[in-house]
Amino acid sequence: MQATGRFYQHARKCWPLYLMALPGLVFLIVLRYIPLGGSIIAFQDYSLFKGIADSPWVGFKHFKILFDSPDFYRIFANTLILGFLKVVVIFPVPLILALMINEVRAVLLKKGIQTALYIPHFLSWVIIAGIAFDMFSLNGIFNTVRDWFGYAPNLIMQDERYFRWIYVFTSIWREAGWGTIIYLAAISAMDPQIYESATIDGASRMKQIRHITLPLLLPTALVLFLINLGSFLDLGFDQVFTLLTPMTYSVGDIIDTYVYRSGIQEARYSFATAVGLFQAIIGFVLVYVFNRISKKVTGGGLW
Amino acid sequence: MSMSFSEKVIQKCIVAFLIILSVIALIPLLSVLSVSFSSRVPVELNQVTIWPKGFTLDSWKYVLDRPDLWRSFGVTAIATIVGTILSLLITALLAYPLTKKEFTIGKVVMLAAVITMVFKAPLIPYFLTMKNIGLYDNPLVLVIPHILTAYNLIIMRTFFLEFPSELEEAAVVEGAGYFRLLFKIVLPLSKAVLATLGLFYAVTIWNQFQHPLMFIQNPDWYPLQIKIRQFITSDNELQIVGNMSQLNYSARTLRAVTIVFAIVPILMIYPYLQKYFTKGAMLGSVKG
Repeated sequence: MQATGRFYQHARKCWPLYLMALPGLVFLIVLRYIPLGGSIIAFQDYSLFKGIADSPWVGFKHFKILFDSPDFYRIFANTLILGFLKVVVIFPVPLILALMINEVRAVLLKKGIQTALYIPHFLSWVIIAGIAFDMFSLNGIFNTVRDWFGYAPNLIMQDERYFRWIYVFTSIWREAGWGTIIYLAAISAMDPQIYESATIDGASRMKQIRHITLPLLLPTALVLFLINLGSFLDLGFDQVFTLLTPMTYSVGDIIDTYVYRSGIQEARYSFATAVGLFQAIIGFVLVYVFNRISKKVTGGGLW
Repeated sequence: MSMSFSEKVIQKCIVAFLIILSVIALIPLLSVLSVSFSSRVPVELNQVTIWPKGFTLDSWKYVLDRPDLWRSFGVTAIATIVGTILSLLITALLAYPLTKKEFTIGKVVMLAAVITMVFKAPLIPYFLTMKNIGLYDNPLVLVIPHILTAYNLIIMRTFFLEFPSELEEAAVVEGAGYFRLLFKIVLPLSKAVLATLGLFYAVTIWNQFQHPLMFIQNPDWYPLQIKIRQFITSDNELQIVGNMSQLNYSARTLRAVTIVFAIVPILMIYPYLQKYFTKGAMLGSVKG
């Protein structure tokens, strides 16, 4: 009886807290956890009319179809290549930019540079892709400048040879400036005395960057790098979808866009769920592994 | 300044490089802005780069006369305002109990929220769930999926945790309940974090593309991004009108106008965006 008494006491005092949390909890359960459970339709021949309860179970049928289809290997390879470019080419840019911005002494100039480099971060991918298609169109600024030098126009947005570089450059344009913020914050948190004594010892600016700033930024960079590796397959649906054209499918079609096409447009629900589940599992393994590494190396991880 | 000559040269080079880089970063915006104010003929003769040629407002007049564009603008504006307020409310309502020891399920809830950052449900079950709860082709889908993110929840909770407890204790003595504590004492003093997270949510909702792409069928509820996308890729009227050679605009100048049209509101609040987003990015980096 005492336990129930305490329960009532707790309930009478604290019920507002539970009431407050209710909308957020409902959101988490309905929009985050129920869909997670709904992934089991990957093992069914799901039909909208029968629902999960009455749709027939088919085991790994859809995974077999997936692994047997030549499309899958092309799409998986595209995803891996873009992921690789993201980690190797795109990732280091903000670090280098931050080191350079830190060398600008004039406050106003520094602010101006930062503002110019941050703006694209706030534009949607629809806008960025729209601008890219405009710039690289037949009469766009890119081909106009080519024309000045006597080169024939080149429609690179519609050319599969360039898609991956378009992906890289639009990523850098939108996010590299913004990505410097974390590094610049870390630099400004550094102890100025270290630099003062280094200057007294006669260390040049370049030496200070190499032997003080860079080593101090390395832990931050490492954590960000591991997070990046963990989200290797997370290439951004909006970006790839808006930049894709039928001419560039062969190199630009990734798991995300493939799931959208097969699942939403062609209504192959169970198959597309199997594809998504495959991606989610690989993604989770990557996050898990790199979190473990991060904990070992830096003592801190995502959780 | 004890820099040697070669050091100075290197530094000057870096500054020059960054200035060039900033200009390059702005060229795409200048280019599309110039096209939007240029006449058809110079555009088609490859004469427009980063300055308008044959200055005209005709393209702008045509686009701003399109009622469907304004409707989409209105849909997005309302979704952004309603969504931002609702998001802040629900995030605060969940973050506040999470700071209280007597909220006994707090640890479980926190874990459940963090797990959603790592385990994302595959797209299709998510799509079907949303369809089952009636959000397919429902304008509410522009708001509801965005009202809570674990990341923002953590930022808000961290902010609340640093809140001086004496203020709340004094109010408790006066008989204030939890709701009064949250709305009369904690939230009025949390303007900085509300502004930061509010802008996070607002930009997400304003820029959203995938959700409306999947869920909105009725053109009446097309948000701005979908409308712009349609203008860019498949708007029939734009193609027909743009191909009439006696007019002063082309499909390309009209597309440029719609792009600029969607950027302007973002640039108008840009000073706030930069200020508060920078703060938010640093709050997040403390965790990362």
